[in-house]
Amino acid sequence: MNTVTPPRARAQRLMRNLDWPLLGATCALVAFGLVMVYSTTRSGPHPLMFIRSQLLHLVLGVLIGIVILAVDYRSFAAGARALYVINLLLLAAVLVLGHTSLGAQRWISLGPLGQFQPSEFAKLAIVITLAKHLADRPGPYRSITDLAPFLGHIALPMFLIFRQPDLGTALVYGAIVAGMLYAGGARRRDLAGLAAGAALLSPVFWHVLKEYQRRRLLVFLDPSLDPLGSGYGIIQSKIAVGSGMLWGKGLFAGTQNVLQFVPEHHTDFIFSVIGEEVGFVGAVVLLALFFIWLARGLAIAAQARDRFGGLAAVGIVSMVAFHVFVNVGMTVGIMPITGIPLPFISYGGSALMTMLWATAFLLNIGMRRQKILF
Amino acid sequence: MDREIFERRLIVLLTVVAGLLGILALRLWQIQIVQGDYFLRLSEENRLRVTSITAPRGLVVDARGRPIVVNRPAFTVALLRMELRRPAQEIPVVARLLGMDPAEVEQKLAQAQGRPFEPVRLRRDVPKAVIAAIEESRMDLPGVLVEVEPVREYPYHDLAAHLLGYLGEVSDRDLRVLHLPGTESGELIGKDGIERTYDRYLRGRNGEIQAEVDALGRPFRTLGTVPAVAGDTVVLGLNLDVQRAAEAGLGDRLGAVVAMDPRTGAVVAFVSHPAFDPNLFSAGIKAGAWNGLLKDPRQPLIDRALQGGYPTGSVFKIVTASAALELGLVNPQSRFYCPGFYNLGGHVFHDHEAHGNLNFLDAIAESCNVVFWTVSRPVGPVHLAEFARMYGLGQVTGMDLPQESPGVMPDPAWKERTYHQPWYAGDTLNTAVGQGYVLGTPLQVARMLAAIANGGTLVTPHAVTEIRSPDGRVRARIEPPSTGRLRLSAQTLAVLQTGLAAVVSRGTAASIQMPGLAVAGKTGTAESSHGKPFAWFAGYAPADDPRLVVVAMVENAGFGAEFAAPIVQRVLQVAFEIPPAGAPHP
Repeated sequence: MNTVTPPRARAQRLMRNLDWPLLGATCALVAFGLVMVYSTTRSGPHPLMFIRSQLLHLVLGVLIGIVILAVDYRSFAAGARALYVINLLLLAAVLVLGHTSLGAQRWISLGPLGQFQPSEFAKLAIVITLAKHLADRPGPYRSITDLAPFLGHIALPMFLIFRQPDLGTALVYGAIVAGMLYAGGARRRDLAGLAAGAALLSPVFWHVLKEYQRRRLLVFLDPSLDPLGSGYGIIQSKIAVGSGMLWGKGLFAGTQNVLQFVPEHHTDFIFSVIGEEVGFVGAVVLLALFFIWLARGLAIAAQARDRFGGLAAVGIVSMVAFHVFVNVGMTVGIMPITGIPLPFISYGGSALMTMLWATAFLLNIGMRRQKILF
Repeated sequence: MDREIFERRLIVLLTVVAGLLGILALRLWQIQIVQGDYFLRLSEENRLRVTSITAPRGLVVDARGRPIVVNRPAFTVALLRMELRRPAQEIPVVARLLGMDPAEVEQKLAQAQGRPFEPVRLRRDVPKAVIAAIEESRMDLPGVLVEVEPVREYPYHDLAAHLLGYLGEVSDRDLRVLHLPGTESGELIGKDGIERTYDRYLRGRNGEIQAEVDALGRPFRTLGTVPAVAGDTVVLGLNLDVQRAAEAGLGDRLGAVVAMDPRTGAVVAFVSHPAFDPNLFSAGIKAGAWNGLLKDPRQPLIDRALQGGYPTGSVFKIVTASAALELGLVNPQSRFYCPGFYNLGGHVFHDHEAHGNLNFLDAIAESCNVVFWTVSRPVGPVHLAEFARMYGLGQVTGMDLPQESPGVMPDPAWKERTYHQPWYAGDTLNTAVGQGYVLGTPLQVARMLAAIANGGTLVTPHAVTEIRSPDGRVRARIEPPSTGRLRLSAQTLAVLQTGLAAVVSRGTAASIQMPGLAVAGKTGTAESSHGKPFAWFAGYAPADDPRLVVVAMVENAGFGAEFAAPIVQRVLQVAFEIPPAGAPHP
C-alpha cells in the first residue's frame, strides 16, 4: 500500500516528527534528577557510588531507548502476548527468588550487574499489552461486563505485585487502567461503579496489607501516632520542604538533607530535598517540566495513527502523572506514604530506565503519527 | 474507534493532570511561602539528635566466677562540631577544661571530618569536678555533650595483664581495613589479649537514643530508645588464687609462669613479668604513658609466656630422651659413665658435674649432659627436630591470644636456609640439651609437659573455657580440638613419666618435694649470651594422675632448680593444698 521510500528520506521525516519539547523536558528532568541524587548521597562514605550507578543506568536506559525508538511501535503490539507472559514470569520470579529489602521482596539479583526490580518494567509492559487488548476489542463498551476482560488482564500481575508486597505499584496499575479505560471509551457510570466497587473491597485489602503498610496509612491520617516511625518521615519531610521557602537553602546546603532527618531521601523522599534546597521556585519549575512532559504525552495520544498507539500514550501519561502526584503529595503531607519513586528524579536504576523507555515509546508513537504517504 | 470522544476525553485528562499539578503547587505555596518561616524555624531549632548508648562490655570472670574485668560508669565529654558557634574561641575553652591541648582537640575533630553530625569523643573518664565546670559554662558551650559511658576496669591492675589484654580506640583506618560491623569510629575495642580475641562476644550491641534537642543542644523530648545489649561474660580457665601465687612466686624478676590443665588445655595461670596496668588504656591511653611502655627497657608489652623465645635448656632433654628411647638406642637401664666432660673431636664440652656411673633413668633425674650428648650423636639432628616438632616445638600452640611466637626448632636445612652454614656435630650436642639455636616459649613447654602428663595428647591451650550471656546462660563452650598425638610407644611414655617423677623424688628438683603431692618435672638451666642463665622448671602434679602442669621461666637468674622450681612449688601448693578441699581448679 505504500510506495517505496528511500530510507534516508524516511529517517529524515521521522526526525522531523520527533517531539522535541517532550525530549527537552525529559533531558531537563533527568539532569535535575542527577543533581539532586548527587546532593542527597554525596555525604556518605562513598560520595560517588550512587551517582555512578545512576549514570550507568542512564546510559543503558538511553541506549535501549534508542533501540525502542528505532523499531516501529506497532511491532510491540504484535509481540504483546509474549510480553504479557514474560512479564508474569518475571513477577513470579521475584516472589520465588526475590531479594528482601525494607521488608518487601522487590528485587531480583543479577549478580555483578546488581539488582533489578521487575515491577518497574512491568508497568510499561502492562501499558503496552493492555493498549493492544483495548485495540483488539474496540467496544463500544455498554456495561461493566464489557470491561471485565480488561480487568482480568491486569488482575494477575497486580496480584503478584501486591504479594511482594508493593502497594504503591499495585495502585499505579489502578491509575493506568482507569486512564486507559476512560480514554478508550468506557462509560463514566461504569468507571464510577468500578471505583465504588474498589472502595467497598478496601476492607478486604486492609487485612491483606502488611503491618507497616497499615501503619503508614493510619499515620497519614494522624502523624502524631508514630512520630518516630512513618509519622516522623512525614513531619520531617514537611519541615524540609517548608523550610526551603521561596528560593531554597541552596544546592547541597539543605540541613534536613545532610542531617539525614528525612528517611529514604535519595529515593522516595527526594522531593523533600528538592523543596528544601531549591525552594518553591525550583519545585514549581520541576512541576512545570512534568506538565510539559505530560501535556506532550497527551498531544501524542491525540495525534496517534491508531488506537493502540493512542491508548498506550494515555497509559504512559497516567502512570507518570500518578507517580508525580502521589510521590510529591506524600512529601508535602497530602498523600499517604506508599513508596513509589518520583519519575526521572529518584535514585533507582530500574525506575529510571523504565521512565526512559516509556519516553522512547511515546516519542516512537509521535514520530510515526502520519501515514507514510507523500 | 470514535476519534472525537477519544480527543474530548484526552482534554479532560489534560485538565485532570493540570489540576493535580496545580494542587501540588498550591500545597507548596502553602507550606513554603505561607508557613515557610514556621518550618524554617522548626528545621533550625527542632533538631533531632541520635546519641549512641555504649553497650557495657562483657565481664571476664575466673574459673570460679570471680570477676577479673568489670566496668564502672564514668563521664565522657564529646563535641558536636556543627553546633559550635565560634569554634576558634570555644575549642580552646573546652580543651582547657579537659586539660587537653587545643591542637589535640582539633586533631580529633579533623579525624572525624566526614561526619560533622556525629559527636566526637574528646575524653573519657572525666573527673566529676570537670563535668561540673562544663555544666556551669553550658550556655557558652552549646556543642559540648556529657555522656555517661561504662569504662573498663581491671581491679587487679597488672594481674594477668598479657592474657586479658587491653582496649583501644578504633580509628577510621581500622574501620576501613577490618570488618567491624556496627562499630563506629572512636569506640573502644579489644586490641590485645582476650579482649581482642573475644571482642565480638564481649562488645555487646550499642543502643541509641533519638531525642529532639533545643537550640542549646539540650534534649527535651526523647523520641525513642533502643537499649544497649551488654556483652557476653567470658569465663576463663584462670584461677585467681593460683594466678596470684604464680605472680607472687615470680616476684619482681623478669620471666613467665604458665599453669595449665593437661587434660583440657585450659590455662589456669598465665604470668609474664614485667606487666602493665590495662586500666591505663581504658579511657584511651595518653601518648606519654604509651611511649613509656614502648621505651621501657624491660619490655613490659612483650608477653614472655607467649611471644618470648628462650633457649629451653635441659627441659629439652625430654625430646632427646624420647627420640633415643623410641629409636631403640637406649633403654632405662642402659649404663653410662660421666667423667664430667664430653670430647668431640678435640673440642671439650663440660658438664656441670661428674656424675660417674649411671643408667639412662638416672641421667634424666640428674640431668646429665654427657649422657644426652652421647645419645644425641646416633639420634642425629634430623630426628631431634622431628621429635621436637611432634611435641609442638617450633610451631604456635594455637592458644586464643593474638601474636603468638612459634619459637625456633633448628635442623640442618634450617641452618642452611637461615645462616647459609653447614650443620656441625657441635650443633647437635647443643640442640640435645636445649642450647644453641633452640628457642621455645614457656607456653610451648607447658603443652609439651601436658602431652606427657595426659598420656600423649597435644592439647591446644586456651584461656577461655566458656561464653555466657549476661544472664548466665551458657552460650558456647570453648573446647579447641587437640592438634595431634605423640607418636610414642606406651613404654617410652612410661619411661619419660618415671624419669620426670625421679627428677623430683631423687634428682635435681628434690628440693621442691611436698608431703602428700607427688610432682614430676624437669629442670632447665639455659646458658645465656648475656648474663646469668635462664632458669626453667616444667612440671606436673599429681605425678600419677596429673591435673596441673606448671612451667616457670626466670630470665638471667641461675639454676632452674634454685630459681624456677620453687615458683612451681608455690603454685602447686596453692593449687592443691591451701584451698582446704584440695580441689585444684575448676
